[in-house]
Amino acid sequence: MTAQLSGVGVTAFGRQPGPDSLDWQCLAADLALADATLEPGEIDAVITGYSTVAGHLMPANLFAERFGISPAIAFGMSVGGATGLAMLAQAARLVESGAARHVLVVAGENRASGQSRQTSTAVLAQVGHADLEVPLGGTVPAYYALLASRYLWAHGLGPDGLAGLPVQMRSHAVRKTGAQFQKPISVADVLESRPVAEPLRLLDCCPVSDGGAAFVVSAAATSDRSLTIAGTGQAHRHQHLSALDPADTGAARAADGALSDAGLAWEDIDVYGIYDSFSITVALLVEELGLVPPGRAGAYAQAGAFETDGRFPMNTHGGLLSYGHCGVGGGMAHVAEVAAQLRHERGASQVAACDAAYVHADGGVLSAHVGVVLRRGGPR
Amino acid sequence: MSAPEPADWTRGEPRLVVVRCDRCGMRWYLPRVHCPLCGSRDATPSPAGGRGLCVAVTRLHVTSAGPDDDSPPLGLALVELDEGPLVMGRVHDDALAPGDRARVSFVEDAPDADRPEDRPRPRLVPSFAREGFR
Repeated sequence: MTAQLSGVGVTAFGRQPGPDSLDWQCLAADLALADATLEPGEIDAVITGYSTVAGHLMPANLFAERFGISPAIAFGMSVGGATGLAMLAQAARLVESGAARHVLVVAGENRASGQSRQTSTAVLAQVGHADLEVPLGGTVPAYYALLASRYLWAHGLGPDGLAGLPVQMRSHAVRKTGAQFQKPISVADVLESRPVAEPLRLLDCCPVSDGGAAFVVSAAATSDRSLTIAGTGQAHRHQHLSALDPADTGAARAADGALSDAGLAWEDIDVYGIYDSFSITVALLVEELGLVPPGRAGAYAQAGAFETDGRFPMNTHGGLLSYGHCGVGGGMAHVAEVAAQLRHERGASQVAACDAAYVHADGGVLSAHVGVVLRRGGPR
Repeated sequence: MSAPEPADWTRGEPRLVVVRCDRCGMRWYLPRVHCPLCGSRDATPSPAGGRGLCVAVTRLHVTSAGPDDDSPPLGLALVELDEGPLVMGRVHDDALAPGDRARVSFVEDAPDADRPEDRPRPRLVPSFAREGFR
């Protein structure tokens, strides 16, 4: 593949009242364009992620008009938490096919301050089955809590089995400007935080945030900071928890597709961005990807495996758990972070000898999976 | 696709219904037009026995009614039915834990006090307890 990630932009995440969804999208898009050293008029395609606050039939047209551009191609996408990476994969296809030269991928939402937490919870709970799950009263945290309950039981783990993961994400966020939460936490803090959906506690769960993120994907490098989108892979094996196959959610299939597309193996990957909506999410993903043995993600976290100098440097911006989660933009922040790592621009948090990255996102309840491999420098 | 015949709890009948593919024998719970394994359109629904292995339990403290909701935590479980498919239900047995044998019963859902227009009539929902729990 030859598509280039020529620009990335991510705003600070947090509770930041004022801007609406379109404002966040425009802020992030300006950052990405400046990063790519492009003018707005050079964008010929726009892909926009959904906003739960500003639900709209035509989010890309809505954005393009406000931003002040008239692209030849514009459409919205909606694959839950996997939307950002799915848009990135689609943007790569558009430039590789010759249909577009510079694709702007954008998402942003005032999810924290633009709606009540009650509304946000109720909207997100609709990923459950309308007839056979939603009437039971579950929420997204409850669905992931059921996965966590099964995980802890299946592996004979105690309540602290996952707690190392949010602790690691927080310690990354302490060193990242723009992160929503920067006060260090301990395993004890996780276990003493209030229960949300047992066994998950408040610090096992990502926050709801305001913010935005954007990428520019180009047919050719726009500067020596452009990165190669070396491979993408996807899998979509179920929508609802009741139909999830715990041995094969689709995560490994997506990763295998992305790695083989890139002609790389796990040994070649230097930095990771793995979706971490809950502690259990990132645990199940890194285990199905085969990075750590089953049941050991929490132990690996406590042993420093996901530190910047660990075996699998991961989510070095703090991830969804601590940088924050503004919807589609939340999963895009992982891409912005590994881009900074691949450009060797992360200062004290720089991962050494960083040339290839793997990013993975899931939507729903491990329902939609997209993996992307990025490489430093031009096509090889 | 409409709910399978015989009618299940979503249509007020106190039972779980699972569907078996006529061609390959795959069984499932959520409605499907084609067998997810072999693609066949031919499948036969039948009532499940309502017993199985509890594999997950959660107690949900923050419901969609909001964080200030002072009602007791809502128990939910995943049970692998003896017929095979995984089913989500409520929990009416505080001691139900993963690894326990579980049995379904059907309880009338509490009316939705805030939005009665959404749920004018009580609704049956599946709820699990340990086998032998009374």
